[in-house]
Amino acid sequence: MIEVQSLVKVYPGPVSALVGIDLEIGPGMFGLLGPNGAGKTTLMRILAGLLQPTSGKVRVDGIDVARDPADVWERLGYLPQSFGFYPHLTGEEMLLHLLRLKGVTAPQGQQVLCRELLERVNLGFAAKRKTKTYSGGMRQRLGIAQALSGDPKLIIVDEPTAGLDPEERLRFYRLLAELAENRTVLLSTHIVEDVAVLCPRFAVIRAGRVVALTSPAQARRQLEGKIFEGSATGNELATLQSSHEVTQAHLVEGHNQVRVHVSEGSPPPGFHPSPPTLEDAYLVLMRDGRAPAGTGPVHAAAPPKAAPAAGAEA
Amino acid sequence: MRRLREVASLELRAQLRQPAPWIMLLVLGLLTAGLASGNVMVASGDSSVGGTKAWLNSEYAVAQVLSILTFLFYAFFASIVAGTTILQDDEARVGDLLHATPLRPAEYVWGKFLGALGALLVVLALYAVVLVAAFQLMPVDNPDEIRGPFRVLAYLRPLLLFAVPSVLFFAGTGFAVGERSRRAVPIFLLPVALVLATVFFLFNWSPAWLDPRWNRLLMVLDPAGFRWLNETWLQVDRGVEFYNQSPIGYDWVFWLNRSWLVLVAVVAVASAVPHCRRVIAGETEPRRLRRRREAALADEAPRALGLAPERALRSLGMSASPPGLLRGVIAVSRAELRELRHQPGLYLFGPLILLQVLGTSLVALGPFETPLLLTPGTLAVRSMNTLTLLVCLLLLFYTVESLLRERTAGLAEVLYATPLRSGALLFGKALANSVVGVFVVLAAFLGCAIALAVQGTVPLRLGPFALVWGLLLVPTFLLWSSFVAATFALCRDRYTTYALALAALIATGYYQFRGEMTWAFNWNLWSAVVWSDLDLFPLDRAQLVLNRLAALLGALFFTVAAVRFFPRRDSDASRTVHDLHPRRLLPATGRLAAWAVAPLALVVVLGWQVRHGFEGELAEKQAKDYWRKNLATYLDHPVPGLRHIDVAVELDPAERGFSARGTYTFYNHLDQPVARLPLTVSPTWEELAFTLGGTAHEPEHRSGLEVFHLDPPLEPGAELRIGFSHRGRFPDGASKNGGGTPQFILPAGVVLHTFGPSFLPVPGYLENIGVDEDNRAETRDYPDDFYRDTVPPIFGTVATPFTTRVTVTAPSEYTVNSVGILVSESELDGRRTVVWESDHPVKLLNLVAGRWQVERREGTALYYDQQHPYNVEEISRALVEARRWYSEWFRPYPWRELKVSEFPALATYAQGFPTNITFSEGIGFLTRDEPGSNAAFLVTAHEAAHQWWGNLLTPGRGPGGNVLSEGMSHYATLLLHEQVKGLRARIDFGRRIENRYAERRQADSERPLTKIDGSRAGDTTVTYDKGGWAMWMLHNHLGRDRALAGLQELFRRFESGPDHALLEDLVDTLREQAEDVAAYDAFVDQWYFDVVVPEYRLSEARVERSSGSAGSGSDQVAVAAATTDAGGPDPGASWIARVRIENAGTGRMPVEVAAVRGERWVDADAEQAAAAATPSTVSRDYRDARAVVVLGPGESAEVEIRCDFEPDRFEVDPDARVLQLGREKALARL
Repeated sequence: MIEVQSLVKVYPGPVSALVGIDLEIGPGMFGLLGPNGAGKTTLMRILAGLLQPTSGKVRVDGIDVARDPADVWERLGYLPQSFGFYPHLTGEEMLLHLLRLKGVTAPQGQQVLCRELLERVNLGFAAKRKTKTYSGGMRQRLGIAQALSGDPKLIIVDEPTAGLDPEERLRFYRLLAELAENRTVLLSTHIVEDVAVLCPRFAVIRAGRVVALTSPAQARRQLEGKIFEGSATGNELATLQSSHEVTQAHLVEGHNQVRVHVSEGSPPPGFHPSPPTLEDAYLVLMRDGRAPAGTGPVHAAAPPKAAPAAGAEA
Repeated sequence: MRRLREVASLELRAQLRQPAPWIMLLVLGLLTAGLASGNVMVASGDSSVGGTKAWLNSEYAVAQVLSILTFLFYAFFASIVAGTTILQDDEARVGDLLHATPLRPAEYVWGKFLGALGALLVVLALYAVVLVAAFQLMPVDNPDEIRGPFRVLAYLRPLLLFAVPSVLFFAGTGFAVGERSRRAVPIFLLPVALVLATVFFLFNWSPAWLDPRWNRLLMVLDPAGFRWLNETWLQVDRGVEFYNQSPIGYDWVFWLNRSWLVLVAVVAVASAVPHCRRVIAGETEPRRLRRRREAALADEAPRALGLAPERALRSLGMSASPPGLLRGVIAVSRAELRELRHQPGLYLFGPLILLQVLGTSLVALGPFETPLLLTPGTLAVRSMNTLTLLVCLLLLFYTVESLLRERTAGLAEVLYATPLRSGALLFGKALANSVVGVFVVLAAFLGCAIALAVQGTVPLRLGPFALVWGLLLVPTFLLWSSFVAATFALCRDRYTTYALALAALIATGYYQFRGEMTWAFNWNLWSAVVWSDLDLFPLDRAQLVLNRLAALLGALFFTVAAVRFFPRRDSDASRTVHDLHPRRLLPATGRLAAWAVAPLALVVVLGWQVRHGFEGELAEKQAKDYWRKNLATYLDHPVPGLRHIDVAVELDPAERGFSARGTYTFYNHLDQPVARLPLTVSPTWEELAFTLGGTAHEPEHRSGLEVFHLDPPLEPGAELRIGFSHRGRFPDGASKNGGGTPQFILPAGVVLHTFGPSFLPVPGYLENIGVDEDNRAETRDYPDDFYRDTVPPIFGTVATPFTTRVTVTAPSEYTVNSVGILVSESELDGRRTVVWESDHPVKLLNLVAGRWQVERREGTALYYDQQHPYNVEEISRALVEARRWYSEWFRPYPWRELKVSEFPALATYAQGFPTNITFSEGIGFLTRDEPGSNAAFLVTAHEAAHQWWGNLLTPGRGPGGNVLSEGMSHYATLLLHEQVKGLRARIDFGRRIENRYAERRQADSERPLTKIDGSRAGDTTVTYDKGGWAMWMLHNHLGRDRALAGLQELFRRFESGPDHALLEDLVDTLREQAEDVAAYDAFVDQWYFDVVVPEYRLSEARVERSSGSAGSGSDQVAVAAATTDAGGPDPGASWIARVRIENAGTGRMPVEVAAVRGERWVDADAEQAAAAATPSTVSRDYRDARAVVVLGPGESAEVEIRCDFEPDRFEVDPDARVLQLGREKALARL
């Protein structure tokens, strides 16, 4: 259980990265969604005990992270947003080194475990190569392997799918889903699809504030009947953007396929109701900073009953 | 250009925002302010009060400071600043972004370099301002004497010509190394290597035999420019006025030296451009690495499509528990070691230290510049300073880079979020880095092993190395590593850490240089440890242990601080401010401070011991009190003569203790009554009691001077007996900062004498006690006829010889020697009592004890430690020969036995007390004989000569007096060399001391031999070396028999006192032997009453077949009868050799010029040498023909020599009969 109370982080400047965050996160997968610069990484680093907050409380299983970060590290699997490895070590040596530092053991021994972990992340073929020869995706997979090692009680992954191709992303979703069955997995991302696929609960963070704490289904439900879709020319789109809240606009076969959020009044002529997506909800939140009704700060305590099927977002 | 300017300007601003330049400026400023007190003046001028001084702001002095300081500081500073600029961009990962702009590689490279260089030059300019302010405005003693008028060029020229090229060189090369390697450690290699090579070799390695062409090459190579300055201008002392007033004359050697520095810098930076271009294009990756990467990518593509077997993670059965400290340490150090394997420094520093150790070991010199015979212990200690410096520098670089490794590799967030303890992380890194130290130490050990093997005499033993480098140096390295780690943890910045750590090193060196270091603060033990094969650290063992313990506990404190502050988590600024509130700060500080209590307590204890030690403030105060209270009253107070000394001394070496009781029988040899009789005693003696005429007496206590008021006064010719008893320890307490001490009672041995109140009271007031730089009196001006009065003796205060009876009791394992002969010996309860009695009156007394072997020859005995048998034969032979020949030449040896006893190397002198000479183990016993250096023979011959020149003929206390002791002993040594070892040995010794004189004299302040009083820099070499040469030349001038007859007469006149001879007495006595008195007077006027030194130069050398006619010319010296080495004219001469000779120096002496062919000497093999008693003989192929020429100052002449062989060169004074400067240059090859 993660408890965050009135968390504030101000960088010299001063720049307020977090402005009074309150969260309670129970077991299971929890998403942290927000645009770049919203404060997600700052929050993750504070939760990982790598950054001292300016004020507020952060507890992990009752441990005060600010005061006793080392106690958190004992139960933490952490994948930061950007990272590297000792260039002269092979992938296997690097992972083995981190297994030792984490005190990870397995009945089959550390060496075998190391190889099996590398296989899990599809790096078995490069185990004997120095990490400086790794591509970005290979490095990311090695990072994932170390984060998963040791069966940590808490896993914090910051933008984990960056650099992964779709297949690897899918594989990683499965691994995370499996892990989330009996522990807390905190996923930070700006990719709505990641949250939609993986997280029964998530928080939307913007400008250092939690603007929504909800589930994908609830978020979509809040927009039920308020999303309309239609097509528009370029000029019409410009008019629409000034008169309505356009959530998405894609070019489909040369036409703008536009979705608008209509909370009050009537939709634009020619637009028809459409089932809301999580991206609609996210973009609405990002647009006005208001939480749709029913997505206000709530406790995300309910564990998921089952892992969501990968790629099941609709 | 616009883009280049933009890059440069950005870099300049970034560099100036770093703290490192400002810390460096601060350190340089403080150092300069310290040096401004007069420590940086050119070594010329008159050091006596009122003498002409060299200015500290002359161009020479400023150049000296700038060449050394900028080299030492900027070597590291410039390399790091310029070398890491591109590295920083790499770490900030801005490279791709920058190179995606139109910025060209050349603009980028030159912009970065010029920006960094600009920052360095800004700091240099600011430093120049500080330098000017310090030298012109700092309050100093006697500013008018040591500070000349302000002249801009005196600062500007050295700044531009010495400092700027050095800065440019290090910036350029550092930049190029950084750009190529893209790693931090290689950047430090060049400055460390250059500093070591330059400081330990280029700055001062200049043996007399070094060919001037090689010397010029070394001047060109020296990146500091100091060798050029020193060899070209400073060593050739031009006189203080010259240095104060003249600008430096820059010659082609200098310009070549400066030019290559600039050229190398420019080429280095220029070469970085194409490399940088290739890096941007990704072409610099090694082919092997590129192939692997391509293979990896090729492998990856198909595999990424397939899914790995989907087995639940839980099936792996993983569990985790935080690793313990040990497991963490092992894991971290294993990974670090893997990284270290790829560090080039490890492979470069090994050979570097090996060469350095070999270089310094194989040319190690002892007294009189004799080669030292090194033992494992002396080698280990000699290497300590270099090893400490090198390993500390390496540990600094490796520790910082190691602590930064996770951040630079991008692994920090992953690794820091593991449950690994910070302590394990730091210890693991330290453990791995210690391998660097171990590697360097092993390389040094290999160097020492090779040096011992080359010597081929002393076997290699591991123990001393393990002890010195292990037990003594390891705490230093631990302390330093932990200090660096703690500094990094606190300031969290690479450059600030470097700056602070280097500042700490420099500050330590500065205090060492100023002589202000003590046991309490000498964390790196620089120059504190003295090795003796006779005992382990005999003098300050307790202080050494406490010091090392303090270092270890200090290391623990810094380790705790490093762990506490290690930046594993990014701190929050407002929380940090909050944490600084006293309410929070005090408890936190208190917890940390608890770790500092133990090391600080030890530092306090050491400080207390030093303060109360024999070199501490209290001892200094006591000495000053003695001087202050008694100088005016008792400086020249008449002291009656001694008739007899009878003392009994109990020695307790284990406790440094002694007790003494005895009587001095005085008699009034003066022509007036003596009412007060002062005795100098030590203020540390306890239970001091006196008797006067057999009854207890309480003299007047005057701060170490006990004054007996005699009522009635002691009439002329009357006797008086004063008894005394006391006990004490000697030395009493700790030394200030290690090193040695001239007298001691220690388990390793005992050395005591009566020059001062170490164990016996000394009659009279001693004018050297309590005198230092602060209260040194102006040197006394003696009238020219001072020698005609009754002159007191130079040694001690007693004017007449006396007899002695010395009873010594010591533990049975010790042999105790004193003056005279052993008259009884007994043993009781493990203590031996010996009684020594003088068999002929003496004027000094000493006592020496040790655990020795003894080698007895005719009338001689050599007492030596069993570990040092190497030169026993040579010393014994020298003693026998000295006794025999000196007796024949000067005066028969009056005592029955002549002894030499060895003592531990706590002092490096040898002293010739009557019958009882003492040698430090490093003198004679551990000197290395080689062709051209009969070291053990030389030392023994000199010290044995003091039996005559010093003991039998005690010189007078007045100007030139010491020449009669030291100079005449050198003269005797010259004679004995020729007598026993042959001509070559005499020539070699003569040239050796001539070279020493040329190097160490202070031309500007040198006074005639008859005026030398030891108060000026350069007086020592004049006293010893010129004094010896002057008598040798006088000997040749008079002829051997007449000279020796005159000397024998001198002994007859002055041996018994109370008048003691001065040089004028010598000159007067020998004058009686002169055939040509006018020539004699002309000679002595030059060499004894004036300062002259010829300096001969040859030019226009040529040779032709004889056509039967001599050359012509007004200044030509036609030589009718050239001689060969075998002697005799050469009637069948068929070659005419001509050369122009000029006396560029002073003086007018007849000097031989020789046309020479072939090498003169061939080394005899050992068997021949033993048989012939000479280690070398004249080669059969050698021929020479000589002519004699007499030239005054500035005069020149063409010399023509006819010979029956074709000469290949000309030499001046081939037999070394005329003292001269620049003998090695007085050579012309044909």
